[in-house]
Amino acid sequence: MRKTCDNWKRHFPAGKFGPHLFAEFEMRTKAVSSEVFRVSRATDAAAVLLGLVEAAQVKNAVLVESPLQEAAGITAALRSRGIVVYTESDQIAAHADTADIGISGVEFGIAETGSVFQDGYDIATRLVTILPPLHVVFLPSSHIVPGIEEAFEIITPGFERGYCGFITGPSRTADIERVLTIGVHGPSRLAIIAVDEEIQGGNA
Amino acid sequence: MDRKTRNLKQEIADKLKDETLRGALGRFSEVYPTARAKAYENAGDIETLREAVRQMKHETVSRLEEVTARFEAEATKRGAKVFRAKDGDDLKAYLVALCKEKKVKRVVKSKSMASEEIDLSKHLEANGITATETDLGEWIIALAGQKPSHMVMPAIHLNRFQVADYFSKELDREISPEIAHLVQEARKELRQKFLQADMGISGANFGIAENGAVGLVTNEGNGRMVTTLPRIHVVIIGYEKLIPTVKDAAKILRVLPRNATAQLMTSYMTMISGPTPAMVKRDDKWVEEEREMHIILLDNGRLKAAKDEKFREIFQCVRCAACLNVCPVYTLVGGHVYGGHTYAGGIGAILTAFLHGMNQFEQFHELCIGCRRCTTVCAGKIDIPGLIEELRIRKVQEKGLPFLLKQTFQNVISNRKLFHSLLRLAAVGQKPFQSGNLIRHLPLFLAGMAKDRSLPAIADKPLRDRIGKITKKIEKPVKKIAFFSGCTMDFVFPETGESVFKVLQDLGMEVIFPEGQSCCGKPVVALGDVETTQKLARANIKALEEQNPDVIISACPTCMESLQHYAELLKEDPEWGPKAEAMAKKVREFCSFVAEEYEKRGRLKKGKGGPKVTYHDSCHMKRVLGIDKAPRQLLEAAGYELVEMKDSDKCCGMSGIFGVKYTELSMPMLEQKISNIRETGAEIATCACSGCMVQLQGGLDKQLPGVRMKHVADILAEKIKD
Repeated sequence: MRKTCDNWKRHFPAGKFGPHLFAEFEMRTKAVSSEVFRVSRATDAAAVLLGLVEAAQVKNAVLVESPLQEAAGITAALRSRGIVVYTESDQIAAHADTADIGISGVEFGIAETGSVFQDGYDIATRLVTILPPLHVVFLPSSHIVPGIEEAFEIITPGFERGYCGFITGPSRTADIERVLTIGVHGPSRLAIIAVDEEIQGGNA
Repeated sequence: MDRKTRNLKQEIADKLKDETLRGALGRFSEVYPTARAKAYENAGDIETLREAVRQMKHETVSRLEEVTARFEAEATKRGAKVFRAKDGDDLKAYLVALCKEKKVKRVVKSKSMASEEIDLSKHLEANGITATETDLGEWIIALAGQKPSHMVMPAIHLNRFQVADYFSKELDREISPEIAHLVQEARKELRQKFLQADMGISGANFGIAENGAVGLVTNEGNGRMVTTLPRIHVVIIGYEKLIPTVKDAAKILRVLPRNATAQLMTSYMTMISGPTPAMVKRDDKWVEEEREMHIILLDNGRLKAAKDEKFREIFQCVRCAACLNVCPVYTLVGGHVYGGHTYAGGIGAILTAFLHGMNQFEQFHELCIGCRRCTTVCAGKIDIPGLIEELRIRKVQEKGLPFLLKQTFQNVISNRKLFHSLLRLAAVGQKPFQSGNLIRHLPLFLAGMAKDRSLPAIADKPLRDRIGKITKKIEKPVKKIAFFSGCTMDFVFPETGESVFKVLQDLGMEVIFPEGQSCCGKPVVALGDVETTQKLARANIKALEEQNPDVIISACPTCMESLQHYAELLKEDPEWGPKAEAMAKKVREFCSFVAEEYEKRGRLKKGKGGPKVTYHDSCHMKRVLGIDKAPRQLLEAAGYELVEMKDSDKCCGMSGIFGVKYTELSMPMLEQKISNIRETGAEIATCACSGCMVQLQGGLDKQLPGVRMKHVADILAEKIKD
């Protein structure tokens, strides 16, 4: 998978990130309508996701793997429930527009704004992120930085070329009469599954 | 829309009747300041953040070519194609050729004000290329055949019913006017456009020289669609968006969303450096290919501004539109009236001058009343009113003044004796219409001006004729003070002038009224006539300095500002420049000076038992001189109970000539102010500016006759026994 940076964690500013910032991150991101589920072990994450897909009556999914998802056995869990899961980029390109859910990993969260940072150089990642109505991301709960400035301390050395950015809640507009409406071109729901267990492999 | 010869008065009259617009803007301006403040609660000091943006952008424009060259080189190195377009025609020709070469039939656009500026969509359509706006607000106004009325909320002037009508026409079926439903219809319709498009065109909120990246700040997700789905991505970016480093983006991102929409961050913030992969269907199979990335840098007048020592300041603009959200005139009439071809409000007036020419600027620049509220929120700390004033000056230098103004300024106001005898004549001429101190019955042709506001009368005897009677002989004076009254206090409120004498003499100071003083020049320079202002400045310096005073006192913040500005005004003058500079050091504003002296004498203690009083912060008192505590302390020291009014520092609507020329705008501002005064339940309304006094006294007389208007000096003088 093409990435803007192969190991973002390497650039995390020493002493400036950690799970102690999770509570603030959670409060901020919920304030912009994100749904947050925090679990201690990767294997618990599958149960949370299955609960979500059941409630949303998901039939097909587009998914890009991440170390957390692999450790949690997400793809297999979905398939065991009879959900069609597309994981290859050509399949994703063909089905992202009609998929019920998109699943991907993110690198870190920002407490100041409730944003998650995603490396989107990979085209499949972007399709999964933006086209389906429900987007679920996996985030290590210790990967939280205090603010935008610390986020840019990580981005600066990692962003030589490519595509990356923040996602902060679901897609929204207030263009008609300034009435806030969730879900315009992008997803109308953003769910963040945060896992405490450290997974080897650096990234999410 | 033909914007060459506008009938601004008619446009204003129409807009004031537009209840959709007034409702939307009115509600928004009510909630914006609080929402914005809340968004900054966890961001540290707002001033530090604004200063960081200002400094970074200012530094960038001072070496713009170097930054641009780096941006171009880095983007090119990564495989993007960079083109520098000198104007709209240049850009459009390049883009149409590119579309033809790449067989592009369908284009989707995310928001780009620069493309609005050059009417890009219309041109693409004329060349057989379908161009669809995908930002909801932009799509709505495109369907309506209109221009954006706000940089961030382009369709704020329309309501759901109007939007439903436009959608029904476009989609050829009945669309119900329910907002969530309208948004879903737009999503469905535009989703197909995204999927079918050959090319995506985006704007950029910033372009990073260090790695050739562009950054997009969006909420709807269309920015990500436009840069993810089509096989070609074209970025249109103005030179003002360039920043040196990746880290500099953080400075913009901490301020832009908070200022623009009171969000801590928008839903999507996307940065793209170099071409990225795209999925393209070949022989019915999806294959990954490299997406083409084209970056077009648009000049269209920007580089001229960048070279201008004063106007390079507009490069500090991040297009957050906070200035519009707090502008008392914009929030009354919106961006179609207070705006040019594309850009609205005060910043819009300046941008219009550079991007669309002075002729367009001239059509609406008078709507900037110089209240400076915008300067307190601007992300890049741009002196918007100052730059507008500078443009007015340049316009006069280029084209001269209109005949009548020229006559008035150069033959009347600059001739003190003539000017003052005319004012005296006015005192006689107005007799039949005068009642008390306010004119109540005006000839019919002036009735419109006085409907909700009594106009002040010229006093029978100006202050200058009362000096002998009010001057006290002070033995061993503490200080020698020259009082600069200003025309309004001299001829309209001489009693307040008397109060100033009384308060200062009570402090053991000798007060002199230099006879030769004349108009401070503010109304003249505000209309761009520097030459006459310089003439007035020299006359005033001479009159004030020949008394050899220790301190020069003004009890009107606008006059005060003018006196301090003389040094800048005369800096090219070897004789008067240094004199002006020396004088500026002696000039003091009345309230802050007296508060300081009272403090020394232990008289600034809070008294009690007095009636309720409320205080109006004049724009220039608070935002130019930075004085807001002293007058309040003085009122409390005089024993009054101070009750704060809502929006105490919002313009009362006078602003010199504006209040008379644009009565229809001035009146709603005054009404709001009077209503805020009413809500305090105060018996007395006070301020420390004679210009505001004209407006407020007139408004109170008509709308709230039980409440009296007083200058802070009057309140203090009443406490002093003769």
